[in-house]
Amino acid sequence: MCGLCGELAKAPFRRSKKLVPKETFFLWLDSLRKKYKLIGPVKVGSQTVFKKLNSSKELFMEYESTMFSPGKLFIYKPKEDLLRFSINDEIAIDEIPPISEKQVIIGVHPCDTNAILYLDKIFLGAYKDPYYDVRRKNTIIISLNCTKVSLNCFCSSVGAGPFLKAEAGYDMLLTDFEDKYLIEIKSRRAEELFNIKGKRVGASELRLKSEKEKSLLSSFKKTINVEGLDELFMKNIEHPVWQYTAEERCLSCSNCVMVCPTCFCYDIVDETSMDLKTVRRFRHLDACQDIRFAEVYGGNFRQRRAARLRQFVSHKLNQTSQYGVLGTVGCGRCITWCPTGIDLTEIAKEIQKS
Amino acid sequence: MNQLKPLKARIKDIKLEAEDVKTYILSIEGSFAAIPGQFNMVGYPGVGEAPISFSSIVRNKCFEHTIKAVGRVTGFLNGLKKWDKLLIRGPYGRGWPVNHVKGRDILLIAGGVGLAPIRPVVQMILAKRELFGDVSLIYGAKNEKNALFMNEFDEWGKGISLHLTVDEVIQHPPVSRLGKGGNKGGWKHNVGLVTDLLDKIRIKPENTFAFICGPEIMMRFICRGLLMMGIAQSQLYVSLERRMKCGIAHCGHCQHFGLFVCKDGPVFSYDEVRGLPDGLL
Repeated sequence: MCGLCGELAKAPFRRSKKLVPKETFFLWLDSLRKKYKLIGPVKVGSQTVFKKLNSSKELFMEYESTMFSPGKLFIYKPKEDLLRFSINDEIAIDEIPPISEKQVIIGVHPCDTNAILYLDKIFLGAYKDPYYDVRRKNTIIISLNCTKVSLNCFCSSVGAGPFLKAEAGYDMLLTDFEDKYLIEIKSRRAEELFNIKGKRVGASELRLKSEKEKSLLSSFKKTINVEGLDELFMKNIEHPVWQYTAEERCLSCSNCVMVCPTCFCYDIVDETSMDLKTVRRFRHLDACQDIRFAEVYGGNFRQRRAARLRQFVSHKLNQTSQYGVLGTVGCGRCITWCPTGIDLTEIAKEIQKS
Repeated sequence: MNQLKPLKARIKDIKLEAEDVKTYILSIEGSFAAIPGQFNMVGYPGVGEAPISFSSIVRNKCFEHTIKAVGRVTGFLNGLKKWDKLLIRGPYGRGWPVNHVKGRDILLIAGGVGLAPIRPVVQMILAKRELFGDVSLIYGAKNEKNALFMNEFDEWGKGISLHLTVDEVIQHPPVSRLGKGGNKGGWKHNVGLVTDLLDKIRIKPENTFAFICGPEIMMRFICRGLLMMGIAQSQLYVSLERRMKCGIAHCGHCQHFGLFVCKDGPVFSYDEVRGLPDGLL
């Protein structure tokens, strides 16, 4: 368990469940705007984007998927200033502390909530990333069970959705009940913050919730069988699927990595001022699909495009010894945004055929 | 604590070790401890950082890094002078299991600048020689100009047995391999690949542990050779090199099929890394 979940779990609270009219819920949400930055899914053209809200009326809660996950936009930032150096007679080192306002992210789907729990393992493990840590603590996550299944969703195959099973590490869970939300309190701070009474949830509502889940589960088009996949991958390290997929289709464009809610790699860059006196050191997202990613003096451990494709796919479906969980949450973004439609579930099926 | 914030270290002295290779003797304010096989992220503002192993044990807040100028960061460091400052972060990673091999025979095998991370092990063994069994160092360099720490070999030779080789001697025309006659141009040791020297040593396989550092392709053949000699793969340790940006298992660059070389390594037992994709072991 990560440090944060541990902290959140320590304080006892009632895991209450309430049925609240949507109207009431959104009024409550708007009242938070005095103290919190509100972030949620908003329709922009043909896309839905997680962005800052001026009013809950902007929300588009029926969205299917977004290009970027909220966790990698508002908790683990795509770009972060780290240090500033001034070089005169002495080198002066200034830390750039994280600027973090209190924020509420609403409408986080189960896949993306699980992705944040995955990022916790990386940035709140043995070494804590102070930027991630502060933002994570200052972020209230209101998750939302799905009402639709998109073409590329396969969360049901990897235990990450369409209904959220995690019990900790986020604050509230919403399930759509037509004109109401079934609201489940998952943290002490949510219990304190959510002062709306609502109707107590009984057995019939819980039955309805699980019926909703069941009907969604039957509508998944994309599936993957991860049973025994680890061993099968290792036995087929040089399976031809890597070579021909890389040669025929992969462009090494890194779209898959950029839209992946669990891909965490970053590069650190120094930017020197024109007078050579100050240096800004920042980090930004990096991708294992870039040819320089694993380059060292005298060689490159992933020179071949096939090796780079295999690194991405196997890091999602395989390599589970790293954190004890799958690297994928089944959101399907890498499939949606691949310009040539490379599909990791299809790659897995090719390997399983052999 | 922000692990990405570096500390300033002062260059107390610089020793030219070989072509493009210098040893930087660094001092740091405040307490500092590291074990052989660990590394620092060493760098300079505007240039960046690179992972560099300790080439000495830490004594009185002083330690050494032996660096070959091959890239942007190391090339820049090569131009620094005595009393200049540079930036370090660390120590990071899992080092050599020196305490685990007390009382055992030890084979230290290095190629090229791979001798740098082995040197603090030699220093530790020489300081407490009685705690270890037979210790041999097998070292191979491209040529005699590329061999590191040669002025220390006489001292080392008093406590451990040394087997040195160069791929070729450059001072004179090419010579026959492993010095079967021919002119070795003043080079008193062997000529040939480091793997060839395995035939020259006698070991008790069940009591022997090997620490190996060098190009990955060299380590591959050394490990295969040692397995043939009967040493269990769990008794072979290798130090891996990968690109790194953070040193703390965050940036993802050094990932080696689920392992973070910076945190889980850089020292691994051979059975942990043998046969992994995108590696040569």
